[in-house]
Amino acid sequence: MEQISITILTIVATVLAYSLSRYLFLRYQHPLFNMVLLGTLLVIAVLLSLRLPYEAYAPGKEIMTFLLGPATVALAIPLYKNRGLIKQYGLLICGSVALGSTISMLMAMLFCKLGRLDPAVIISIAPKSVTAPIAVEIAQISGGDPSLAAAFVVATGTFGSALGPTLLSWVRISHPNARGLALGTVAHAQGVAMALMEGEDRGAMASLAMAIAAIFTSLVAPFLVAYFI
Amino acid sequence: MLWKLLLFVFQTGCLWVIYWLGNQISAYFELPIPGNVMGMVLLFGLLCSGLVKVEHFAVASGFLLKHISFFFIPIAVGLMNWAALFYQHSLWLTLAIIVSAIAALYAVAFVVEAVSRRKDQWNKSASQS
Repeated sequence: MEQISITILTIVATVLAYSLSRYLFLRYQHPLFNMVLLGTLLVIAVLLSLRLPYEAYAPGKEIMTFLLGPATVALAIPLYKNRGLIKQYGLLICGSVALGSTISMLMAMLFCKLGRLDPAVIISIAPKSVTAPIAVEIAQISGGDPSLAAAFVVATGTFGSALGPTLLSWVRISHPNARGLALGTVAHAQGVAMALMEGEDRGAMASLAMAIAAIFTSLVAPFLVAYFI
Repeated sequence: MLWKLLLFVFQTGCLWVIYWLGNQISAYFELPIPGNVMGMVLLFGLLCSGLVKVEHFAVASGFLLKHISFFFIPIAVGLMNWAALFYQHSLWLTLAIIVSAIAALYAVAFVVEAVSRRKDQWNKSASQS
């Protein structure tokens, strides 16, 4: 097959995989039906069954992610809509999110170091609690791998959103601020989705935590990473 | 429908210009901050200053944020080149992801729970007296 038809095929396959995963997630509302996880596995399955290497998929990827930049910039809008909460709880939000993001980065890198993993892996795992488009950039700036960073982000988001609410209930964390900020800091957009299901107030806190974690991590990660490798 | 499509294209174009500016600023000042974060901060600043309004981006931002997960699929597909890594080091990678997530989750939750409860109590006693 020539490249142009492969590119069209991969784009169609990705859109279909996304639509199916989205339908399943909205239908069953379970974090394991994660759109990115399921969609990615479906696309990889299609590529493997057609014996296509990743390189054949790359041109389609460039076209499909063209709008990711503007989409990421649009994340400022939920942040702006919740600015009242920033005024009220600014110090608490920034302090706790900074603490959580630092712990997440340090512990993830520490375990990879202990397991003697490649420096590229250590760099790519550092921003794993940050929303994917920003995590990918943070990893790239420090010399990591974008797809690896995206995979760690999705793994963290899936784990955090699947078990986060239960883990919090086990130790009787019940304050809406605490549940929202914890889920948003650790499990980015996937955590925000779970927090929103619990209630509007938690969802707002979680979306603030996600945005601030992204900004904080992008500022701090390059220095922490340099210390670890 | 056509009008909405035109609005979407125009608003996305405006967001794209802000994204481009963010990249230019990061590159020009040689900041280690990703251009998209800079763009986000820039749009937040513009909204706060009142120069632009949320409604100016309503169509594009609504659609893009609703389907932002879509964009991560093509990025994550690159994972197929890393299958060996996950196979070889599954134990350490799983530990790294799970332990750090639990530690960060509890750290944030305990701090915020303690502070928020104290703050609520403070507000309650202040309103009573």
